[in-house]
Amino acid sequence: MDITIIAESNGNELHPVTSQLVGAASTLGGTVTVLCPGGIGEKEASEISGVAKVVSLKGDCFSSFDSGAWSHVMTPHCGDGIVMGSSSPSGRELAAQIASKMGVPVVQDLTGIDNGLMMTRSIYSGKAVETSNASGSCVITLRQNAFEAASLGGSAEVVTVDSSSEVSVAVKEAIAKAGERLDVSEADIIISGGRGMGDPANFSHLNEVADIIGAAVGASRAAVDSWDEIPHSMQVGQTGKTVNPSLYIAVGISGAIQHLAGMRSSKYIVAINKDPDAPIFGVADYGIVATWEEALPSLRDELANL
Amino acid sequence: MTIAVLLKQVPDTTAKIAVSGGRVDQSSVAKWSTSPYDEYALEYALQLKEAGGGDLVAITCGPARSSKMLTDAAAVGVDSMLHVVADTSEMDSTQIQSILAAAIKHCGAEIILCGKQAADTNSGSTGPGVASLLGASCVGMVSEVGIEGDGFIAQRGISSGDERVVVSKPCLFTFDKGLTELRRPNVKGIMMAKKKVIESVSAGDLGVDLGESGVKINSHAPPPEKPPGQKFEGAESVPTVVAKLREEANVI
Amino acid sequence: MPFEALDFYDVDSLLTDEERMVRDMVRDFVDNEVLPKIEHACRDGVFPDEWRVTLGEMGVLGAPLKGYGCPGLSYAAYGVICRELERGDSGLRSFASVQGSLAMYPIWDFGSEEQKNHYLPKMASGEWIGCFGLTEPDYGSNPGDMITRAEDMGDHYLLNGAKMWITNGSIAKVAVVWAKLDGVIRGFIVEDEDEGFSAPEMKGKHSLKASVTSELVFQDCKIPKDRILPGVKGLRGPFSCLNNARYGISWGAIGAAQACFDSAKEYSLSRIQFDHPIASYQLVQNKLSWMLREITKAQLLAYHLSQKKDAGDWIPEHISLAKMNNVDIALEIARVARDIHGANGILDEYPVMRHMANLESVKTYEGTHDIHNLILGRYITGIQSFTRDLS
Ligand SMILES: Cc1cc2nc3c(=O)[nH]c(=O)nc-3n(C[C@H](O)[C@H](O)[C@H](O)COP(=O)(O)OP(=O)(O)OC[C@H]3O[C@@H](n4cnc5c(N)ncnc54)[C@H](O)[C@@H]3O)c2cc1C
Ligand SMILES: Cc1cc2nc3c(=O)[nH]c(=O)nc-3n(C[C@H](O)[C@H](O)[C@H](O)COP(=O)(O)OP(=O)(O)OC[C@H]3O[C@@H](n4cnc5c(N)ncnc54)[C@H](O)[C@@H]3O)c2cc1C
Repeated sequence: MDITIIAESNGNELHPVTSQLVGAASTLGGTVTVLCPGGIGEKEASEISGVAKVVSLKGDCFSSFDSGAWSHVMTPHCGDGIVMGSSSPSGRELAAQIASKMGVPVVQDLTGIDNGLMMTRSIYSGKAVETSNASGSCVITLRQNAFEAASLGGSAEVVTVDSSSEVSVAVKEAIAKAGERLDVSEADIIISGGRGMGDPANFSHLNEVADIIGAAVGASRAAVDSWDEIPHSMQVGQTGKTVNPSLYIAVGISGAIQHLAGMRSSKYIVAINKDPDAPIFGVADYGIVATWEEALPSLRDELANL
Repeated sequence: MTIAVLLKQVPDTTAKIAVSGGRVDQSSVAKWSTSPYDEYALEYALQLKEAGGGDLVAITCGPARSSKMLTDAAAVGVDSMLHVVADTSEMDSTQIQSILAAAIKHCGAEIILCGKQAADTNSGSTGPGVASLLGASCVGMVSEVGIEGDGFIAQRGISSGDERVVVSKPCLFTFDKGLTELRRPNVKGIMMAKKKVIESVSAGDLGVDLGESGVKINSHAPPPEKPPGQKFEGAESVPTVVAKLREEANVI
Repeated sequence: MPFEALDFYDVDSLLTDEERMVRDMVRDFVDNEVLPKIEHACRDGVFPDEWRVTLGEMGVLGAPLKGYGCPGLSYAAYGVICRELERGDSGLRSFASVQGSLAMYPIWDFGSEEQKNHYLPKMASGEWIGCFGLTEPDYGSNPGDMITRAEDMGDHYLLNGAKMWITNGSIAKVAVVWAKLDGVIRGFIVEDEDEGFSAPEMKGKHSLKASVTSELVFQDCKIPKDRILPGVKGLRGPFSCLNNARYGISWGAIGAAQACFDSAKEYSLSRIQFDHPIASYQLVQNKLSWMLREITKAQLLAYHLSQKKDAGDWIPEHISLAKMNNVDIALEIARVARDIHGANGILDEYPVMRHMANLESVKTYEGTHDIHNLILGRYITGIQSFTRDLS
């Protein structure tokens, strides 16, 4: 079976999810070709073990994202079997366009696939899980971090193809990511501080961690009420915001019922509190009994090293 | 200028999802709503119509109950409604996309707005796939769109930040969370909606031969139970917890 | 998350699609624009002006009136609007009741063509606020003996007297005032800028704090001749207005009760005492099931009355029964809900004490609870017992 992987880029480098795609492909068996749009990461891709060939697609259209133009160039290089990409927003868009041009179905955001091509994905925003089978060739995208990455050590041949297509989406202006932090109600990861932070200035430690993982910073009501620097817009709980992130990290928060009312439905909860009997541990998936002074620097470093 | 907005009716995001007989039990869904990202698409479709004139048609492909959503769209200002009556729950992406592409052609629309993904399937295939079938330019992850010259200017999210891009018709925009929420209807709009007739067709009426689904759903199941909470002593456990967040929980 | 109102018998399924769409529209407004601000409005004792604007934009003011820019909805829709607004706050519903049923309605029913064209479109859009002046310091339940008087001066009328407890008084552009002309009660339209008219606000309320209540003072107040309502004489004028407003209140009270039930249910499920949620104790369950029972009965009563109203097959006593019953149970539900919340129940973090205090006013205005008892008593026995004079 042919497996064509669409490399994901991260600025001018190969995104680490690409190795995970190769890792998943290896468990299916088959010949793995990696397509590098714009040639980005071609060398790194060729060094992933299990890759048979890298096709480096060079063309003017790859200087900005246009899924129509990109898919036009890429589709002829996709093999008959399985085409695999990352389920990032652009990855999904590209996968859907390629599938449509190939006339095959696309199945997005898989968290599992076995060598009988039984595909697992979450539906209804995680409230159910679907397993399905493709009867012929298809395009799939995989969720980041759901698959074991392939190791380095390959040395695939790199074939360069010069080909472009008419771009119909013209970039007029790039708007750099605003420095302002995400709002808690929008964020997929939230780190909140409570009265246990001791001083509003110590929220800078939470900000540091948040910056690394793209999280929003929240607060308990005790923090909001005690310190003017912590605005009510950050408050999570019954009289603050109700949040539903995939990860909620509570630091120096006791876990009063009114706080829990706002964050209990988070997918995963981590609590850092020095009191082993703090009620927050009752809802935490992972509890760390420690002061934030000890735990946060280590958390920051661990996350930065991911 | 004809603008089409694609709407899908999904269980309200607050509704409980139950599984029975290997499928999500649709009959147990307490409340159906318009998929949230589609609502942003609808708001911006209304704004485009107000800025540039033309007709706005709302299109859905779904079971009979979905017509309520089209009436709601009429109450906020959609001019006409097309309902392709079909059960989409076992369709694959090619089938649903060919129906919608045919429906858009049927309405003669050249500007299409939809959500970046539906809140039930969580896929995000429909917009780009339909754009490809129609040969329309595709702009994804849009938070705002307006008219510029003969074409359109949209703000879209990409991994490094936001971009403003220009496109001309035919084009399709898939919406992320928009900058403006969907407007509320008013009594006048609600009374008008009563008078607007929903055009109801089948896939066959649109000349679409669905064929076989290329993807067979094996089963739906409730999500795996969360393991009981784990508690660790001391800051030295931080690396362990981070590893678990990555490997067990898959959230970072 | 949109509010899920208690509707045990699915009474709302009896509404038309259109009526349910109106419900969802108002519910959305209350969730997103009223509830986040209501406690501040109460603390500051103001009716936020943006609510007036949105009510006008939604097009719900004067809901059942037809023509002259009015919505022309069914009485069922009007009831649903009142219910959804009062789920937010009785003060908000009071604003809409006074505007639609007490100020717009008399102009619509008893006004001249010119008056209707002049006032109704701007009142339906919310641009002009109206109020209704019937009650006087010395005449509440007994408005027939009012002392406010109008005198015909040839080219104008002269108004003298004072009204009290007038909702919207100080913010109104248009006051529909009932006064005696040659001993007969007549309706007059007074405008805020009329000479000799003032409307000082009454302060210090413990109830309906987000609603403006005022005195209306007339000191040789000059009114042009074309401001008398030509179409009605006697108490029938104000009473027909009250019938419509009372009908709306019978729905509105259900909204307040639903809000209290909802808060009590949530609170009792999350409040742990003696190791278990208090909702798991039989005494608390008994309270909740009693609330469910009374709300369900009130819903059926209000719905059936709406159908009679829309069919024109009703008598004022039908409305008295509904107003009296539904406000009575709502007030009792608010009190029981307050109890279930323990000490938290007295805080403005929870809506129950606010609804409870509001409903005390609702029980009194638009005919006190007991005045409705007397109306029904007269209906049953044929004997009026409002006064000792049994003739
Ligand atoms: C009607 C009502 C509504 C409310 N609404 C909300 C709401 O919306 N949101 C909300 O949060 N609260 C709300 N509250 C308040 C709530 O009851 C609690 O008072 C509040 O959540 C406590 O905040 P906290 O956990 O930060 O503070 P505390 O309860 O004081 O807890 C501080 C915690 O920090 C820990 N700690 C101290 N030092 C350290 C350290 N160096 N390192 C690590 N841990 C440390 C302590 O062990 C303790 O557990 C509401 C209360 C009422 C009555
Ligand atoms: C917040 C608020 C807003 C209001 N808004 C308006 C408004 O916009 N316009 C307006 O005109 N009025 C308004 N009112 C006035 C309201 O209509 C009167 O308060 C009501 O009619 C009762 O009159 P009263 O307060 O004078 O009480 P009273 O008539 O003095 O009654 C006091 C008590 O005596 C009882 N009672 C009276 N007569 C009898 C009887 N014959 N037999 C047995 N018991 C009797 C009553 O039931 C009550 O319990 C408002 C009142 C409030 C509190």
